[in-house]
Amino acid sequence: MALFSAFQTTFLLALLSLKTYQSEVLSEPLSLAPESLEVSIDSARQCLHLQWSVHNLAYHQELKMVFQIEISRIKTSNVIWVENYSTTVKRNQVLRWSWESKLPLECAKHSVRMRGAVDDAQVPELRFWSNWTSWEEVDVQSSLGHDPLFVFPKDKLVEEGSNVTICYVSRSHQNNISCYLEGVRMHGEQLDPNVCVFHLKNVPFVRETGTNIYCKADQGDLIKGIVLFVSKVFEEPKDFSCETRDLKTLNCTWAPGSDAGLLTQLSQSYTLFESFSGKKTLCKHKSWCNWQVSPDSQEMYNFTLTAENYLRKRSVHLLFNLTHRVHPMAPFNVFVKNVSATNATMTWKVHSIGNYSTLLCQIELYGEGKVIQKQNVSVKVNGKHLMKKLEPSTEYAAQVRCANANHFWKWSEWTRRNFTTAEAAPSEAPDVWRNMKSVQGHCVVTLFWKPLSKLQANGKILFYNVVLENLDRPSTLKLLSIPAPANGTELTLDQCSYQIHVTANNSVGTSPASVIAVSGDPGNKEVEEERVKGTEDGFCLSWKPQPGGVTGYVVEWCERPGDPLCDLQWKNLGPNTTSTVVSSDAFRPGVRYNFRIYGISTERIPYLLEKKTGYSQELVPSDNPQVLMSNLTSYSFTLSWKDYAAESQPGFVQGYSLYLKSKAARCLPGSEKAVLSDDSICCKYKIDNPKQKTFVVENLQPASFYEFFLTPYTSVGEGPQGAFTKVTTPDEYSHILIRIILPMIFSILLIMILCYLKSQWMKEKCYPDIPDPYKSSVLSLIKSKENPRLTIMNVKDCIPDAIEVINKQEGTRKSLTETEPTKPTYLYLLPTEKSHSGPGPCICFENFTYNQAASDSVSCGHVPVTPKAQPSQLGLLTSSENGPKALGKNYVNSLGEIPAGETNLNYVSQLASPMCGDKSSLPTNPPEPALCSEYKTQMAIPMGLASPPSITLLDEGEHDH
Amino acid sequence: MLPAAGEPAAGDSWGMLACLCAVLWHLPAVPALNRTGDPGPGPSIQKTYDLTRYLEHQLRSLAGTYLNYLGPPFNEPDFNPPRLGAETLPRATVNLDVWRSLNDKLRLTQNYEAYSHLLCYLRGLDRQAATAELRRSLAHFCTSLQGLLGSIAGVMAALGYPLPQPLPGTEPTRAPGPAHSDFLQKMDDFWLLKELQTWLWRSAKDFNRLKKKTQPPPAAVTLHLEAHGF
Repeated sequence: MALFSAFQTTFLLALLSLKTYQSEVLSEPLSLAPESLEVSIDSARQCLHLQWSVHNLAYHQELKMVFQIEISRIKTSNVIWVENYSTTVKRNQVLRWSWESKLPLECAKHSVRMRGAVDDAQVPELRFWSNWTSWEEVDVQSSLGHDPLFVFPKDKLVEEGSNVTICYVSRSHQNNISCYLEGVRMHGEQLDPNVCVFHLKNVPFVRETGTNIYCKADQGDLIKGIVLFVSKVFEEPKDFSCETRDLKTLNCTWAPGSDAGLLTQLSQSYTLFESFSGKKTLCKHKSWCNWQVSPDSQEMYNFTLTAENYLRKRSVHLLFNLTHRVHPMAPFNVFVKNVSATNATMTWKVHSIGNYSTLLCQIELYGEGKVIQKQNVSVKVNGKHLMKKLEPSTEYAAQVRCANANHFWKWSEWTRRNFTTAEAAPSEAPDVWRNMKSVQGHCVVTLFWKPLSKLQANGKILFYNVVLENLDRPSTLKLLSIPAPANGTELTLDQCSYQIHVTANNSVGTSPASVIAVSGDPGNKEVEEERVKGTEDGFCLSWKPQPGGVTGYVVEWCERPGDPLCDLQWKNLGPNTTSTVVSSDAFRPGVRYNFRIYGISTERIPYLLEKKTGYSQELVPSDNPQVLMSNLTSYSFTLSWKDYAAESQPGFVQGYSLYLKSKAARCLPGSEKAVLSDDSICCKYKIDNPKQKTFVVENLQPASFYEFFLTPYTSVGEGPQGAFTKVTTPDEYSHILIRIILPMIFSILLIMILCYLKSQWMKEKCYPDIPDPYKSSVLSLIKSKENPRLTIMNVKDCIPDAIEVINKQEGTRKSLTETEPTKPTYLYLLPTEKSHSGPGPCICFENFTYNQAASDSVSCGHVPVTPKAQPSQLGLLTSSENGPKALGKNYVNSLGEIPAGETNLNYVSQLASPMCGDKSSLPTNPPEPALCSEYKTQMAIPMGLASPPSITLLDEGEHDH
Repeated sequence: MLPAAGEPAAGDSWGMLACLCAVLWHLPAVPALNRTGDPGPGPSIQKTYDLTRYLEHQLRSLAGTYLNYLGPPFNEPDFNPPRLGAETLPRATVNLDVWRSLNDKLRLTQNYEAYSHLLCYLRGLDRQAATAELRRSLAHFCTSLQGLLGSIAGVMAALGYPLPQPLPGTEPTRAPGPAHSDFLQKMDDFWLLKELQTWLWRSAKDFNRLKKKTQPPPAAVTLHLEAHGF
């Protein structure tokens, strides 16, 4: 086999030598193998660039050749690409060919070789392959450096949807390497022990900062990454269009596609190519480009717009006739001439678009912001258009635009002019009305007129002429000129038979006259007022047709009824009209409007026909009446509210509601139960007659509490709820009681006054003073006799020497005279053994100076004499000198120590006794009852403490009556 | 992870506040204002401390947004790459003993120099950012950081230390070389934000330490507490 190969090679070489020889003989190149093959790399684009040349070509000879190129990966036997490259070759020409690798070139070693063959019909005999060149090795890995890990490709830019191959090159064998796409681990294929390849298909756009791909060692902090910039798909330009405005320049416009969406924007370029002329221009702007129209009257254009960026090229085409793409310039020299009140002429010029072309121009007339006329006109150079049927004294705007009449492409811009038509005389008579009143015998006529509308005025109204024609003296005319914008005037006339003509005047002329007549009768006869119901749309008024000749009707009203100025309004109506609807924005709810309907006689004199009144919308009453109560009886009371102005309410008052609260569970006849807004229940009386201003509430209960409240009501409802007035019906018998009690009180008062005035007399009669012995007249009598032995007997001075025991019978009274024959039993108290030892159940101290008959209790006091008490009593009593003193002290003490409920000791007080002053004479002198006339019970002393000293307590200054 | 819609508006107001703080902090440096009634460096240090805390808060929001903008793995919470291309960044981490032994002047100088450098890098980041909103946030943060730098300068001036002069030609730039891949650039951005955060933490500690040193003895407080004893 090897021998065969060697033989074949030798044969070929010999043949080649023969051919070379022949070619030299024939002056043709023969040795056509590629030589000087060089391979360079472009890592960013992952490209291998090959360049070589063919030396054995004759001068100026060109041959078509084909070169077969083989590319192998990792090892030469692993050929991954074979391509035949055909080209025309010259002698020593450097030929170039490039190949883009899917795999980053850093990921694996690549080798390239090639061979060539003549592929030319001129030399068919040389169609055989040359020898292969030697393998040219491309090994980028060896120049990477000593980093332990690499990831490729570095920062690659691809379009969305592309397929990308990534690899890592690891120099470390110990570590496992993991790779991640946007944090998600990738799984690849091992190209060799150090290189792993990952195929990414259809990569999406993630973010403008690119897609992050990184690999890291499982141990240690070794990390390497790349950013894959995925751009959005480069779109082709849209809406590509060209047009000319002056037939000199073409303006081409388009809408560029969306940008790449990357942080580093890809530069885009736009190129315009015209195929007929073969011209090309690089556009400076992203969305438009200008093209100079060739002066050689080229009509057809075929444009290709090419948009290009780093990744892609896009093209769009446009074929057109230049005259079909004319966008005329806006008309110029536009004027509005010969402007009258109703006509105007518009003239303009257009830019020519060729000698034979015609422009179609469109004219629009605007009045008050709206198109009122529209017209198309064909124009060569100068345009003219007459605008008719215009309104006088009106502002208009006219505008014109043009387009190619033969091949419409686009309208030009509008050119606009404003103008105002001239004035004309007012077309309508002013609408006139009057108001008449009589002041001091004169007739005061106030004329009103409405300003003419713009259409009627035909210009600016300068003044109004008022001509007064005296009907009594027809030849007398009076002219008043009232400058605008007055809308009325006041005339004072000596008599009231006038015909008044009113005209409006502008700078051009006078309007027709409006005629109104006034007579002595103001026409305000008494007419019954009718009520009308207003609606949201206004008041619907109707009236009876007048049998006589009527030239028309006038409805008159005030828009501000409460206002003195009133704002008089009127409405003129034809003679056949008998109803109208009066509406106004000024109508307010709750306001009463009064309407007057006048008929206009043939003499133009108005006379009142009917009166109407109503509310556009009725409301509930705004206030309640002030109610007065009278005639209050036990069973009824009367309410009255005569001052209440029902007319001023915001609705027609239809009646009144009276609410009555009482404790009674049932409502009185004529009333019904009602529930108030505060949920309280009361009785309600309905007063249907709005003119009724009094009401008697009857059938009440005497001495009962009631509360009432009165409110008016309209068709909408009742007035505001107010406070209830309280009332209490009087008692049935109260008047009788008053008739008795009052005189009684008066009488008692009288008696009391009398008693007071006669108090001394009363005292004397009812409770006279008890005489005091110390103040007695007897005392002075004693002193006058100057008898030292005669004195008032004091108890303390008396030494009892005998006690008379009286057997007194209960319930018996005995006079002094009766007791006298009774012989008293005496118990002698002088210190004798007998008296001590003798039994004594009762000791009675007898005083003969007193009349014993004064009291039942006087006669006897039982003093139990205990053996224990006796010595002290006696001891005290034996000393006449110390006695009063010591006893005075004891008295004070004894008073406070009186226990209640003890056995009583009754004793007889002596008021005055001239007989008992002498101790020595006491036993010897028997009592003489003649001088003492009265007895009195002094006081009650308890038995226990009523010792003899206590009995003797009373002395001067301590009398207590 | 995306920032809430309301955050940029809040960031705006914080940014304005930071500007105001910066202006206020420059005021002590004006000699005419500094002559009379000098309250000492205490308030300046306190305010610088406050500013570092505020910036720390502001950076937290900004870094979240920016790292999301870079994409994973940079926005992953546990991502901790080696400090490959970020060697030129001033390093905030320092041995604790070394940090303790720093004198006031050195401490302040290190802070000043670090923020001067970081600010330059940050402005480069601002130029790179694509979205207007992110650029606005970065610009606000740069303004705030400029305020902090002015504040540190104010403290140094108050303590009588001269400002460190930048050596000519050592102005840090962010322009990457041709061999600098976009991934490494993103790593640098990541490290810039991380280092900035570490510096802000460290500065807060630095100024807290300075604050404690310059604080007057707490006699008045003691008195106050005694008064409370009654």
